[in-house]
Amino acid sequence: MRHEPTWRSLFFRDFAETACPSCKAEFCRVPKGGCNICGLPGGGICRDCSEWEKTEFAGLVHSGKSLYVYNDAMKTYLHQYKFLQDVVLSEVFSGEINEALCKVDAILVPIPMNTEKLKQRTFSQVDELLASAGLPFTHLLSKTAQVQGEKSRQERLESTKLFEWNGKPIPDKIILIDDLYATGTTMRHAAKEMKMAGAGEIKLFTLIRA
Amino acid sequence: MNELEAFFTGRIWLKDFTPFPEEQIERAIAKGDLLVIKGITADGQCSRCLEKSSHKILSYNCAKCGSVCFYCRHCIQMGRISSCTELISWASPSPKLHLNHSFNWSGTLTAAQKTASTEVADSLARKENHLVYAVCGAGKTELLFQPIFDALQKGLRICIAAPRTDVVLELSPRIRAVFPSTTVHTLYGGAPIEKGFADIVISTTHQLYRFEKAFDVMIVDEADAFPYSFDEALERAVLKAAKPDSPIVFVSATPSDKLLKATANRSEIFRRFHGHDLPVPKFKPLWRYKKKLERNAIPRKLVVWVEERIAKQEPFLLFLPTIELIEHSIPLFKKLDVRIEAVHSKDFQRKEKVMALRNGDIPGLLTSTILERGITIPNVQVAVVGADDALFNSSALIQIAGRAGRSISYPAGDISFFHDGISREMDKAKSMISFYNRRGMR
Repeated sequence: MRHEPTWRSLFFRDFAETACPSCKAEFCRVPKGGCNICGLPGGGICRDCSEWEKTEFAGLVHSGKSLYVYNDAMKTYLHQYKFLQDVVLSEVFSGEINEALCKVDAILVPIPMNTEKLKQRTFSQVDELLASAGLPFTHLLSKTAQVQGEKSRQERLESTKLFEWNGKPIPDKIILIDDLYATGTTMRHAAKEMKMAGAGEIKLFTLIRA
Repeated sequence: MNELEAFFTGRIWLKDFTPFPEEQIERAIAKGDLLVIKGITADGQCSRCLEKSSHKILSYNCAKCGSVCFYCRHCIQMGRISSCTELISWASPSPKLHLNHSFNWSGTLTAAQKTASTEVADSLARKENHLVYAVCGAGKTELLFQPIFDALQKGLRICIAAPRTDVVLELSPRIRAVFPSTTVHTLYGGAPIEKGFADIVISTTHQLYRFEKAFDVMIVDEADAFPYSFDEALERAVLKAAKPDSPIVFVSATPSDKLLKATANRSEIFRRFHGHDLPVPKFKPLWRYKKKLERNAIPRKLVVWVEERIAKQEPFLLFLPTIELIEHSIPLFKKLDVRIEAVHSKDFQRKEKVMALRNGDIPGLLTSTILERGITIPNVQVAVVGADDALFNSSALIQIAGRAGRSISYPAGDISFFHDGISREMDKAKSMISFYNRRGMR
């Protein structure tokens, strides 16, 4: 998409809209004042997150943020983006993701995919979201060979080690980035691995809160 | 013919998503039976849908092959095609003769249908394109039966393509009933995969992307939008699916000027099969109807029209220009009669609601243009609210008017075009319908 240069486009980094306004209007932001960690409406710390705080994963996560709720429009979006592999859709939320993360003083760490899955999908959906938003990121984790989606919640909670630190230097502050926050298992496991590798403050960021 | 040959002859299919085991596919490739085709050609064209514009063929860093790949957004809903995906097709199709076809139809054609039927068969025998220009309710499908049977007996493979799934679903059982010993496949988005070799394929135009040089005879139903000015890729799909020298039969009630000019062989039927005139639409002013509906009031004249239909127990279709207006208005109409329903393209219960109208369970439907063609409901009365809206061009209005008076028991019917100022397209539709009626008298 090419646009005429304007004064605004010369002085500000604006993101071209890849979705039309009426489609975009169907996406719904997570209301402010939700759970401090996962963004679930209610305020404070939600029940799910409190449960996590009773486990070995307690105290790992400083706070978290999620941008959108998982409504029908978002389901359709994710289907087209991840399963139909429409890579260019990584640009749909580039402005919003950039706005949320451009001023943070932490290193952005994407949740990785396992190699097999990555080859199948041909791109990493989290990396592409960040790249489209013009944000630098560092991979510090690698996925152990297990597929998440096919397990029940209980199996997920019990599964031992989902990620491994890849050995690169660990900064003090990191933000773990994922596309979708569902049960929180992925994020807790990633946080644990990062904590054990020496990370100080760990925050979470997801595009969608299911 | 083995099952691989039967399935892949004339098809161009994603290698990773076939209804056969992977080893079987690999063996056939090694033997040279299946041809492997690169998903995106060196000059950036999708091998399946032939799209090549740079805003539909996009590049990205591919983690599968580790280099910059291109992918096609145009046909992505059918499974993504990219530079490193592979398509397969049967390498050397053998001429095959299935001649055990039977013809099970005992209806009779009108004189006009009979003439058109012979003319179509003659054009096909000469391998020339043909246009069947026939009004709504002329009996277009029936006149194609004999030419289709002739082609089958010559061992030819036939495709009947239509732009909408609704039309495909309506055609399929009729064709199967007429040719009971012929293998017929029905293809539309989400249809189950049928194995084997089909002598007749009934398909949405979209599904034709998955064929290449497959058909000896191509019939394009509802071809008024052809050439598909809004989607050149669809037009290419039709041409690609046909063998290079195969004739195409276009069938339309409202052909475009371009199509009329492009087809020298033409049959015209301007009279319905039952011999009666087409009902002519009446123009009725309904000033500022949109404002009134938005203020939650149905204009008086429209209330009278609807109440009259309900009192006379005549089923009605009430067309509105936008889905928003339909959804806004349906509660107002439900106050007149709670059984009134609304349908549009995003409504999954569309089929059930149309069936309810046909069965007389509900008095009427508010609808978008989704029901403008392909449906037949005895004694249906038709209103277009906002017939002057830019959405309703003359073809759409002629098709909508064509819903009324189709059955022999109720050959008349009311067609009211409620408007906020008469548009040129309304005038054109009305004068075309009057023209058909005059020409049909001969």
